[in-house]
Amino acid sequence: MQSFEPALEPDFAENSVEQQSLSSAQEHQTGQPATSAPLGSATSFIDPNPRKLNPLVDLHIDRSAFEELDRRVQRNGPWDDWTLYQMALEAEETELVADFHALQCVKSLPRFEPLPHQVETARKVLQNMRGRAILADEVGLGKTIEAGLILKEYLIRGLVKRALILVPASLVLQWVRELNGKFDIPAVAQKKEYSWNNDIVVASMDTAKREPNRAMLLEAEFDMLIVDEAHKLKNKRTSNYQFVGGLRKKYCLLLTATPVQNDLSELYNLITLLKPGQLGGEGDFASNFVQDRRVPKNEEKLQEALSQVMIRNRRSDGGVHFTERHVTNVPLRLSPEEMALYEGVTSYVRTHVKAETGMDLTSMLSLVTLQREVCSSRDAVFLTLINLFKKTGEDSPLRARIWELVALIKSIKSNTKAQKTMELIRSIDDKVIVFTEYRATQEYLLKFFKEHDLSAVPYRGGMNRGKKDWMMDLFRRRAQVMVATEAGGEGINLQFCNHIVNFDLPWNPMRVEQRIGRVHRLGQSKDVRIFNLCTLGTIEEHIVHLLHEKINMFELVIGELDEIIQQLEKEEPLERRIAQMVLESADGDELRRRMDGIGEKLLVVKQREGREKPR
Amino acid sequence: MNTKQVQKFVQAYCDSTGCHIVEKCPGRVTVKLSPEADRALTNRPYYWSFVDRTGTPPETLTYSWFFEAPSAEDGQSSPLSYLMTPAGRVIQEGVYFGSRRLQQLFDVVRQGGRCVTLFEEPARGMGDPLSSQPYTAWLGANFKVSFACDMRREELHSYGVSLATGVIDDKFMDRLQGRKLTPRLPANVHLLRNGLSLRKGMTQLESTIERKLKNADFAWAAEAEERRQDELARIGQYYEPLLKNEDEAQRKLFLERFEQRKAEIDWQYRPRITLTTINCGIFHLPGIH
Repeated sequence: MQSFEPALEPDFAENSVEQQSLSSAQEHQTGQPATSAPLGSATSFIDPNPRKLNPLVDLHIDRSAFEELDRRVQRNGPWDDWTLYQMALEAEETELVADFHALQCVKSLPRFEPLPHQVETARKVLQNMRGRAILADEVGLGKTIEAGLILKEYLIRGLVKRALILVPASLVLQWVRELNGKFDIPAVAQKKEYSWNNDIVVASMDTAKREPNRAMLLEAEFDMLIVDEAHKLKNKRTSNYQFVGGLRKKYCLLLTATPVQNDLSELYNLITLLKPGQLGGEGDFASNFVQDRRVPKNEEKLQEALSQVMIRNRRSDGGVHFTERHVTNVPLRLSPEEMALYEGVTSYVRTHVKAETGMDLTSMLSLVTLQREVCSSRDAVFLTLINLFKKTGEDSPLRARIWELVALIKSIKSNTKAQKTMELIRSIDDKVIVFTEYRATQEYLLKFFKEHDLSAVPYRGGMNRGKKDWMMDLFRRRAQVMVATEAGGEGINLQFCNHIVNFDLPWNPMRVEQRIGRVHRLGQSKDVRIFNLCTLGTIEEHIVHLLHEKINMFELVIGELDEIIQQLEKEEPLERRIAQMVLESADGDELRRRMDGIGEKLLVVKQREGREKPR
Repeated sequence: MNTKQVQKFVQAYCDSTGCHIVEKCPGRVTVKLSPEADRALTNRPYYWSFVDRTGTPPETLTYSWFFEAPSAEDGQSSPLSYLMTPAGRVIQEGVYFGSRRLQQLFDVVRQGGRCVTLFEEPARGMGDPLSSQPYTAWLGANFKVSFACDMRREELHSYGVSLATGVIDDKFMDRLQGRKLTPRLPANVHLLRNGLSLRKGMTQLESTIERKLKNADFAWAAEAEERRQDELARIGQYYEPLLKNEDEAQRKLFLERFEQRKAEIDWQYRPRITLTTINCGIFHLPGIH
């Protein structure tokens, strides 16, 4: 900063009051913090001596360019270039926000074109909701895009400078990439202490609420706060809720895909975070809108009050086109050796459960895992058996039994499923992603494909981000097959592939849906074909029967399943329930009957959800 | 800004900073930056401080800029790539509306085109070479007025005031249009004595704009105020019952939150107008005004 010596010409002295105000304005410009800064000093210029233009409006004058001119006149230059002077004006003209309402951001996003419902949502939030809203689109409609559009618009308008984005840890990098890649918003992931100094920071909720970050963030002020997966804030007493409630923010977006409407008090809490009083005081709300915890009264009035703070786009509203899903079950018979192993493991599990009545659920589950693993590959079950062997006491009679099973594994020479998968891939003759639940199976398949001259790449959760990206790239450019163990988590988007083989099936339908979701999402231009390998005469057959024939889940619309499962799992995770059934059923028939029971329940929920849809 | 306008803008910047154009074709330009442009654009402060301290001849970067925005498909790929040529490394990069490079150019010209002193060049062969032409000094300034509440709108104004007489021109950039301006005082020209100081001139411009703004439509502000009151009432009906809480500690907590929410609403909705001087300069133009 150059030093500034005010020359006391007569002209300057004659207006001493103004002189004073000018020099204090300058102090502000040099970045000296005012002692008691009002909220918002970060974004807009604050004149220490504003003038009243109107009873409502103050005029703040920023004269820094003029002060600069004055300084240069005293020192006789240096002077800027005339062309640049004109260009500076041209730059201002180009970036001018000429209108209070028309969205500016759409024209400065050269890299992608948002969908109409996304633009419409952004417009509504800016105009009707005054920048505070819950974005509750169903899964797959692009809530992140909507939030990005809104943030970009406020940035362009100079209404937001500092923004904090709180998301689950696994989504931090994905958010940063989307904001940078699609919107050219210079967001950074919070990694080190100094990352907080950036204007736009994406952090995980857990990091943010930990000291010393917590205290620092509560002191700061944010022009915009975005919280992803906001349904985690539904409980008032949690530290997350208290923390978000304590943050100082101007605009605020809460993103959730969960239909919070199902529980009224949770909904009330979420809205209170955003706009306290929107649904009245706590007492008013209970008496005006609540019949029972899940049943609202005055539904119409409630919907109206909600529509002022919440936007929920549905797939059924149309406007977004998803391609179709075609599901094929591929039944196959295990070879006699493989079947022998399956029978052996099954009887081992049965006797084991009977022998120890007081067994806890976790070890029961691990036993069922054995059965599932046999259906996948001998490699998968081998590892588990070895571990089991090590854990069993030296003098336990079980040791001998386990060893017999290991001997059975040794007699197996080929993997029927892997053979079948290869035939399938050859006949598809296009890019295929093969999902399996087990690392050992993955390794085996990779080796098996390599031996048969099929180019395949692995993908698993433990890989770091760079390696994941590399594998995706290899799959896109070189390999025909990707063998993946992980479907959830951050950003594997494989829209360029439209064939999925489920080598084995997870018991949690959500995980199945996540697998398909990698491929079947916005941007997929072809119909998606899904193949389920199903070994006859095993528990796998029952699972495929339940998921495919009973609830027809593979052909549900994207995201529909979320809602169904969430309803059902209020009591107990589905996966556990199935495991328990497998153990308790005397034979295949009983198991099938009980599975059908679950299927019925799912159907009932599905129909109820379906009825709520047309609104 | 469309592709052509962007290209023109970039070309103008390169010309005025003395960059060397290596190759030029429709939609693309390859340019070796001048030291001035390199300092402003490449973000290499350490390199430049090294050059400044050791007196090494600077090695500036070469860019190949294309002006067509990438399509949605290759939106995933990196906007930057390198090309090795016999002449050295060339950085390929997209410059289009919405790109960071153009944004940076905007910021650079705003910094580099802030304050000027200029003289109009008299037309050649005109006038008597023995007589002297009178020039008036004008203070010209470009202003941005921003009307902000929870939303925001901006206007640009270009004003000039004659420092000789105090006459005000409210379309000053238009007056400058088409004139040939130079930083050097031309021959056979004499400058009129200023009746106004620079600061006085600025005050006059500001009060002119202020008068204009006072008479403008304040409906937007009234609406914003309405929204502000509406929001205040809304949180009031939520917090006021809570402030009757028996528990002292609870009450304190609610009061604190209430105050915080009120401050947030004020911050978001209170209407305000900011007048910013984008750039300004002293323009010596022929004639007595």
